[in-house]
Amino acid sequence: MIRWLKKLYYPIQAGHYRLERHSMGLALGIVAAASVGGLVEIAPLFTIDETVESAPEMRVYTPLEQAGRDIYVREGCYLCHSQMIRTLADEVDRYGPYSLAVESQYDHPMLWGSKRTGPDLARLGGKYSDDWHVAHLIDPRAVVPDSVMPHYAFLADAQLEIASLPARLAALRKVGVPYTDAMIEAAEQDALGQARPDTDRADAVMERYGEDTQVRNFDGDSGRLTEMDALVAYLQILGRLTDVAHATDPATIKAGLEAAQ
Amino acid sequence: MVAKLTFVERQIALLILGIITILGLVMASLGAGDALGVHGFIVLFAGLGLIFAVGGSLYAPEPIEDRSREYYDDPIKIGIVLAMIWAMIGMGVGDWVAWMLAFPDLRFDAAWSSFGRLRPVHTTGIIFGFGGNALIATSMHVMQRTSRARLAGQISPWFVLLGYNLFVILATTGYVMGVTQSKEYAEAEWYADIWLVVVWVVYFVLYIRTLARRNEPHIYVANWYYLAFILVVAMLHIVNNLAVPASFTAAKSYSLFSGVQDAMTQWWYGHNAVAFFLTAGFLGMLYYYLPKRAQRPIYSYRLSILSFWGIVFFYIWVGSHHLHYTALPHWVQTLGVTFSVMLLVPSWASAGNALMTLNGAWHKVRDDATLRFMFVAAVFYGLSTFEGSFMAIRPVNSLSHYTDWTVGHVHAGSMGWVALITFGAIYAAVPLIWRRDDMYSWRLVEWHFWLALAGTVIYIFAMWNSGIVQGLMWRTYNDVGTLQYSFMDTVVAMHPYYIARAIGGLLFLIGAVIGFYNILMTIRAARSEDRLLDHPTDSEACEPAVPVAE
Amino acid sequence: MTVNKRDPLTGHHTTGHEWDGITELNTRVPLTIWWFILVSHLYALIAWVLLPAWPGITDYTKGILGVDQRQQVERQVAMMRELRADWRDQMVALPVDEIRANPALAAIIAGTGPALYGDNCAACHGPSGQGGPGYPSLVDEAWLWGGDPDAIMETLRVGINADHPETRFAQMPAFDGVLERNQIRTVALYVQSLSGIETNPDPDQLAAGKELFMDNCASCHGEDATGNTDLGAPNLTDDSWIYGGDSSSLFATILHGRAGWMPSWEARLDEADRKILTVYLMDLKDRESVQ
Ligand code: HEC
Ligand code: HEC
Ligand code: HEC
Ligand code: HEM
Ligand code: HEM
Ligand SMILES: [Ca+2]
Ligand SMILES: [Ca+2]
Ligand SMILES: [Cu+2]
Repeated sequence: MIRWLKKLYYPIQAGHYRLERHSMGLALGIVAAASVGGLVEIAPLFTIDETVESAPEMRVYTPLEQAGRDIYVREGCYLCHSQMIRTLADEVDRYGPYSLAVESQYDHPMLWGSKRTGPDLARLGGKYSDDWHVAHLIDPRAVVPDSVMPHYAFLADAQLEIASLPARLAALRKVGVPYTDAMIEAAEQDALGQARPDTDRADAVMERYGEDTQVRNFDGDSGRLTEMDALVAYLQILGRLTDVAHATDPATIKAGLEAAQ
Repeated sequence: MVAKLTFVERQIALLILGIITILGLVMASLGAGDALGVHGFIVLFAGLGLIFAVGGSLYAPEPIEDRSREYYDDPIKIGIVLAMIWAMIGMGVGDWVAWMLAFPDLRFDAAWSSFGRLRPVHTTGIIFGFGGNALIATSMHVMQRTSRARLAGQISPWFVLLGYNLFVILATTGYVMGVTQSKEYAEAEWYADIWLVVVWVVYFVLYIRTLARRNEPHIYVANWYYLAFILVVAMLHIVNNLAVPASFTAAKSYSLFSGVQDAMTQWWYGHNAVAFFLTAGFLGMLYYYLPKRAQRPIYSYRLSILSFWGIVFFYIWVGSHHLHYTALPHWVQTLGVTFSVMLLVPSWASAGNALMTLNGAWHKVRDDATLRFMFVAAVFYGLSTFEGSFMAIRPVNSLSHYTDWTVGHVHAGSMGWVALITFGAIYAAVPLIWRRDDMYSWRLVEWHFWLALAGTVIYIFAMWNSGIVQGLMWRTYNDVGTLQYSFMDTVVAMHPYYIARAIGGLLFLIGAVIGFYNILMTIRAARSEDRLLDHPTDSEACEPAVPVAE
Repeated sequence: MTVNKRDPLTGHHTTGHEWDGITELNTRVPLTIWWFILVSHLYALIAWVLLPAWPGITDYTKGILGVDQRQQVERQVAMMRELRADWRDQMVALPVDEIRANPALAAIIAGTGPALYGDNCAACHGPSGQGGPGYPSLVDEAWLWGGDPDAIMETLRVGINADHPETRFAQMPAFDGVLERNQIRTVALYVQSLSGIETNPDPDQLAAGKELFMDNCASCHGEDATGNTDLGAPNLTDDSWIYGGDSSSLFATILHGRAGWMPSWEARLDEADRKILTVYLMDLKDRESVQ
């Protein structure tokens, strides 16, 4: 076998000896060799149906949540927090059902993360109160004494910029998120409405995004719509756009199997 | 430097700068009220500043000598100095964020100074600022020498170098303002991405045209690697950065891909930024400066072929090892593991080739810190690729992923390999390019070497410890089958290691500061009279058909 | 034509080229490398046959082991549950007293409680249950909903003001607009006097405060202000405060009202976990009162 490999090598070397005299030939060779892997690994992810589970009832981010997501990106939270519970028993025990591909199908870009300086946030929605999030973001060490998380107190003072929301949703529609014309048109109103439960706008948000949409005054300051409102609204929806992942829970599966028998 | 350009060339330069200035003006006015506008002003001032510099000497006397009889080293000189400036910025910020992870309030009470905004300044500043400038500068140096030809352009080398630095400035200043796409190692927004494509196309054309002019029948291995670096980085950059801007008057854009496809694309890019930026380009560096300094022939041409094509072909497949156990389908993960293991062969083949080249020159490694930099770099290259292939195995990755073990691996590769080979190459190149007898102080080179080595070792050991401790704590079950530690327990356990890491980083940074000082003092020293043959010459005519088979 | 130059040191042939003084030897690829290639490629081949690996257009090779990471983790999780099933069933079935009296079960609480508490509750109630502004202490004698295990279990299940359909509901109304600001200050002084905070108001003011209290507050907090565990209305005569007993906190509490939000844990933690936490809290409190 080794001998055979070595025999094969001589003609290759002679061929190479000629190739390395032609700069364009070398360049083409490099491009060809470096193209294969990406094609084989990425293209099928678009064509193999099984890659992304189906979740017909999954909803899109509301304008306020999307604005919060943009702040999460802007502040670099993903550099310390993952949003991807791996298929490992201890992670399921600690964080809940492992993450499914469909859960981030509207995430442009995805925020799975590569480092967990802080805990995973994939199933954070509903785990804490809005008040806690606000207190924690303003001063993490006030609520968690040993935390090394930076403080984000300025978010509570920063007025949320909403004028660009229609354009942002429209761009997201271009890349495949199913926002309707009505959603894009009303994006600014909806952002305001989601943080003002006592207004008509709030009803409009629920009408467009579903009855379960969390309509609350997230930052506790009813006078203004702040970046804190947006970020907390986003944190509170994490893991709750669809609940298909909970169907992968072994207990549920087992119960389902038993029921089927 | 402008003095070496002809009148016509100076006019062309002014024209290009004029276009850039107008672009800056357009960005500044369209993007008013957004970070895009701030970036417009940066572009505008960069353009104006350079117009001033060129315009000031527009009517200076033209060069009289035949420029094709000498190498074009001016852009290389600036490139090396820029690389060192970015080293200061990148490592300075790196050490700052390292201290912040131990003492989170070591910052200003302002949004821009939070960990999440500064960390990408570290990674981009060090990889693209320091590494990229070093690659561009050395590639121009190596290409001219090994082709016996002057660069194929008078203005384009400047365009590549300065245009590239403009990209890095836009990227890093963007992060502190909160402008980011969040794609690791590709965080810069769409307009900076587009600008980099323009710069990169010019770089490629410059490279290939210079190669075409060569006075050597064969292209030297170092150039294969530089070529792979340029071509594949272009491919990766374009695909990974496909995005739709929310508006052309603001910085924000949304990635074309989402979820699992985006994850795979990001790590196809991310891993190959490691492979073709942090590895291929620096192997090009290694292949020139190491044999040159050791004055020994490359150990094996055949091994060079094998490892080059192995690296180009296998690396592209392994990005999925960053996504083990995630929602990425299992089959892609299997491909990631297997190709990572096969990749170890060409990686070690190149490390081995470098180390075996030192056979017969070990006394020089002992005496010459510059060569020792390169030797240790090759060792770390072997070490980190072994570690990488090991970490790519799924069960190992289940422990290491998300922890500081990855960070330790990263810095074994980036401090131990990338930074050390760069320092070695710079110490070898500086006296040659500036025509000095030697570096200003060889003692300072020694100091730098030992500080860098100590810093790297402390950093890596601290991160191995913290990573493995944290990974194990996360998965420890007590004997009744429930989790033993809360997440906060693991955060508390990291504290001493984070302090150790920050100290290691500080040593490394001090070494680099000393190095920069040494380089500046060398530049200030007197020019030595005519060095060895360092200008384009004709090839030896006799070209062998095929080397003899052993 | 072939090249015949040799490196004097090793005796190996060179390729005959020279680039800026650099030459190359034409040394063979060492045998170890070939072995290395062979072994790594064999490993890859075997993995491709056994595991899911190569994609086509609409499907991929499943591998003869037929494994998949999801099914693997589901099996692991089920196994862990199996392992814990025995004692967890006991936790659910037995009353708290018996659990605490049973050394084996008590040891499990001591081993399991801290991490469970640390990952879920410490963020609000503090690392050792001491609470903080807005979050009640869990280690003092004051209970909003009663300190017996069933009450605590129920609080954990449904939460307080949470989004569980059966959530406990507790609201301290806002008296902004109902009472004048100086009335609020007056009643606050009275509340402070109840728990013995030294403010030395004059007796008229106290009497006025008491009257205001009887009219507005006693319906929930009781005439003696010792609270009402049916409504989650706290005892105002002790020295434990959720939001603080200083005059500005009291003023804010009465002016704006309060509605603490305690999450429901039914979807996140199963009954055994909630029982463990309940017992763990009682242990925590006992330990606290010993100190
Ligand atoms: C330097 C790293 C770092 C950065 C950057 C960071 N965090 Fe954290 N985060 C932590 C750590 C460590 C913890 C655990 C301690 C704690 O709860 O504060 C944490 C905890 C959290 C928690 C509580 C999670 C839980 O389940 O207990 C949330 C929510 C959170 N962070 C959100 C954010 C958001 C939003 C951002 C960005 C605006 C952010 N973090 C940026 C390190 C970080
Ligand atoms: C988001 C913050 C938050 C988290 C997390 C949280 N709690 Fe609470 N908890 C509260 C608040 C706020 C109250 C008081 C509600 C009120 O003011 O009416 C409370 C009340 C309680 C009470 C009732 C106290 C009484 O006096 O009757 C118990 C018991 C309790 N929590 C236990 C827990 C346990 C156990 C956990 C973890 C599984 C937990 N809490 C997690 C916020 C939280
Ligand atoms: C509708 C019932 C109701 C009425 C009327 C009411 N309270 Fe309350 N009060 C509550 C509840 C329930 C809480 C607990 C809220 C929480 O914990 O979030 C509370 C909490 C408080 C607290 C905070 C205790 C602490 O530990 O920080 C104070 C002080 C207080 N009430 C005083 C008053 C005063 C004074 C009045 C009359 C002016 C009054 N309350 C009227 C239900 C009531
Ligand atoms: C002075 C020396 C250095 C210090 C103190 C330092 C410190 C750091 C710190 C604190 C982080 C963040 C880790 C985390 O998130 O937990 C980091 C990340 C990183 N650094 Fe450095 N660094 C140094 C040198 C370098 C060099 C020379 C390079 C490259 C040439 C480099 C490349 C990187 C990369 C690529 C990452 C991202 C790692 C990841 O995402 O996993 N660093 N560094
Ligand atoms: C054969 C060669 C190599 C292999 C197979 C390899 C493999 C890996 C693996 C498995 C990870 C961890 C992924 C995760 O769990 O998140 C990783 C991370 C990383 N490696 Fe390597 N590695 C190799 C060489 C190198 C070298 C030489 C460098 C640096 C110059 C390097 C730089 C990095 C960086 C920067 C990351 C962090 C990526 C991130 O999460 O941000 N690697 N590598
Ligand atoms: Ca990373
Ligand atoms: Ca980008
Ligand atoms: Cu990788």
